[in-house]
Amino acid sequence: MKTIFTKQHFTIGLVCLLIGFMIAILFNTNYQTTERDTRDTWEIRTALLEEQKVQQNLYTEIAEAENTLREYREQTEHQQIESLQNSIQQLREQAGLTEKQGQGLIIKLEPMFLDDDYQEYPEINAELLQLFINELSAAGATEMAIENQRITNITPIRDVNGNIYVNNTSIGDLPTEIYVLTNNSEEIVNHIEVSEIGDYFALENVTMSISKQSDIVLPEYDDLIDLQDVDIVDVPEEGES
Amino acid sequence: MWLPALFLIIGLLLGFMTNMSIPAEDTNYLSIAVLAALDTLFGGVRAQLESKFDQKVFVSGFFFNVLLAGFLAFIGVQLGIDLYLAAIFAFGVRLFQNLSIIRRLIFRKYYMRKQAKKDDKS
Repeated sequence: MKTIFTKQHFTIGLVCLLIGFMIAILFNTNYQTTERDTRDTWEIRTALLEEQKVQQNLYTEIAEAENTLREYREQTEHQQIESLQNSIQQLREQAGLTEKQGQGLIIKLEPMFLDDDYQEYPEINAELLQLFINELSAAGATEMAIENQRITNITPIRDVNGNIYVNNTSIGDLPTEIYVLTNNSEEIVNHIEVSEIGDYFALENVTMSISKQSDIVLPEYDDLIDLQDVDIVDVPEEGES
Repeated sequence: MWLPALFLIIGLLLGFMTNMSIPAEDTNYLSIAVLAALDTLFGGVRAQLESKFDQKVFVSGFFFNVLLAGFLAFIGVQLGIDLYLAAIFAFGVRLFQNLSIIRRLIFRKYYMRKQAKKDDKS
């Protein structure tokens, strides 16, 4: 056997090593294993249950719509107009264009002053308020208003020059009151108390106090609902992606 | 002969075991780099068989070709032209040319060896 390990061999070997490495990486990239479904039976069952609930809701909606349709068909012209007006009224109520009254909560956001130190007047930001509103709707709030601004499906909450604007109107400085209509106040109170939102507010030196009310009147949303820039979200079909 | 093969296997193992992957949009670059590397490798084999092998040319050719191919692909992406196709074409053609020359050289060597054996016997 001649010299096995010449410099030349070594160089070619090194190049081969690099080539092998690159090919392996290319292979890894092209043949990444698809994500496996690692849910156990219980999780799948829960997911199924949730889907069934959604299905049930859809069925109920269809039944309601069919009911309305039947009513339209069976009624005389006068009655038809009346039920159309009823539908319009119902839709206006759903969209938040009417005043609404009911039981619920008043949540007051107030500045929290710590005793000793000098402290700036606390402020909240729009993001935090948005998070709070989302949290409330997740907890089961049916209708909400911030100060005298009704929250609708397309209500914007944003920071404008350091002020918070809801429905394009400033809500001013703290303290701020949030009115919440709900059928189950207890649940919302529990939800808010255990959620992290209180900590987030505390970071901004803001505390919240919740009081249950048996009778709250929410103002109506009095602007035009502008759907110009609203688009249907492109939801992929089930099993498509 | 076995050393390059061994190193190739080591490289493959290293790549698979580290389980590295690159973003999908960069695969173009890597594939063209692999092609350039293979082209250089076969060029080296051919030069070796023609006993014209120069290590400096080989190593510099390897890195230069890989980088040039990557650069071409990059320019192509910036300009919106599939320039990497040009590189793939060039490398592909050269790869096949080199392979055919290598084949012929091996055949020739084989015949020459056979001839030499015959001459020895007679």
